[in-house]
Amino acid sequence: MVDAFAAGAVTLAESSMHMPSIDDFLPPEILFQGTPFAINRIILVRILATIILMLVLGITAARAKLVPGRWQSAVEWIVNFTKTDIVYQVMGEARGKRYVPMITTVFLTLLVFNLCGEVPGMNIAASATITLPLVFAMWCFFQYWIAGIREKGLGHFLRDELFPKGVPWPIYILLSPIQLLELLVIRPFSLTIRLFANMVSGHLILALCLSATQYFLIDVVNKVMMPFGVVTFAAGMFMYLFEVLVSCLQAYIFAILTTAYINMSYPEID
Amino acid sequence: MDMAENDGIQLFLPETYDIVWSLIILIIVAAFFYKFFLPKFQSVFDERAAKIEGGLAKAEQAQKDAEEAKKKYQAQLSTARVEASKIRDDARAEASHIIADARSRAETEAAQITANAERSLESQQQKAMVSLKGEVGTIATSLAGKILQTQLQDPTVQSDMLDKMIADLEQSEDNK
Repeated sequence: MVDAFAAGAVTLAESSMHMPSIDDFLPPEILFQGTPFAINRIILVRILATIILMLVLGITAARAKLVPGRWQSAVEWIVNFTKTDIVYQVMGEARGKRYVPMITTVFLTLLVFNLCGEVPGMNIAASATITLPLVFAMWCFFQYWIAGIREKGLGHFLRDELFPKGVPWPIYILLSPIQLLELLVIRPFSLTIRLFANMVSGHLILALCLSATQYFLIDVVNKVMMPFGVVTFAAGMFMYLFEVLVSCLQAYIFAILTTAYINMSYPEID
Repeated sequence: MDMAENDGIQLFLPETYDIVWSLIILIIVAAFFYKFFLPKFQSVFDERAAKIEGGLAKAEQAQKDAEEAKKKYQAQLSTARVEASKIRDDARAEASHIIADARSRAETEAAQITANAERSLESQQQKAMVSLKGEVGTIATSLAGKILQTQLQDPTVQSDMLDKMIADLEQSEDNK
């Protein structure tokens, strides 16, 4: 197992210890170099993850039966979880219905993309460039603007957002710009950076633990250091499981925040 | 660690091809979920719900049918019971009727028999009386003749006796 992990994390077997760096997130283009369709390692992982996601879920859906098997039950559970525990819990069923497909797409895609970081051989999250979280965040951005304009009209929406009720007017001098910034920049970029930074840091820590294990257990000449390798291996195991948790959690957070932002564009219901 | 090789800021600068691929993938994945995956599962869920509801409705119908059958059966049973008791009552009434009838018939018959017996007794008695009267009369007349033969020689006795006889006859006539 160590080999499998290490082989991916340590891209080139070197005699000196390989340290993961931010270069891992700026890999060289390996296909269609220089074109807008250039593909690098992360994009390859992303395309693979997409194909796997669509194949697995597509086959499951195509073969979906009235009486579900174990796998179908698991998929149904996650579909229902997204619907009831993310969308309906935040928005309620009436207004949430429209957004169930969107949030399902966001949640399941990010879940699979994030988990690629823990798949031996891929070893990097498919969401580990700034762009992918940004694209999803922009989707959310457009959705909450559209929802606000549709439900309240642009003027009313902006008034509600920029001049919240029950605030004494001098505060608006301070509050309104912040609210505008929040609406235009902070929401999409906090979504983006939260996910991206988690994926980056997770990869760096995990790769560090595993490459250190590789180095201390296998590559190093002086075998006195081997016990340290055991420690780093244990840390790597822990970080691996922790990153699985983080991957799921970040997908969930992204999905629930997207839902919450869209819901904030709707008029309040008592 | 050679972090300096790339400026950290580059991490946050989207590459054109990265944007292209992210968008392509997002659109493909979204289309997949919107057009195929979720509708398919929704139809399965709906079908399942319909089936379960149908099953429930069927079960309810079956229960209703069973209850109706039970009610019908009970109604039949109770009418049968009522009929049976009615028949029993009728039978009992008829039986008592028959008994009463028989008794009254027996009584009337007995009364008739008694009456007949009384009547025949009376007629026999009368016959006996008549015959006795006749016999007694002849015996008496013969006896009287015999007595009279001896006594009629005496004219006084004769007239006395006649008077007496007349008086007796009158008396007995009065007594009658």
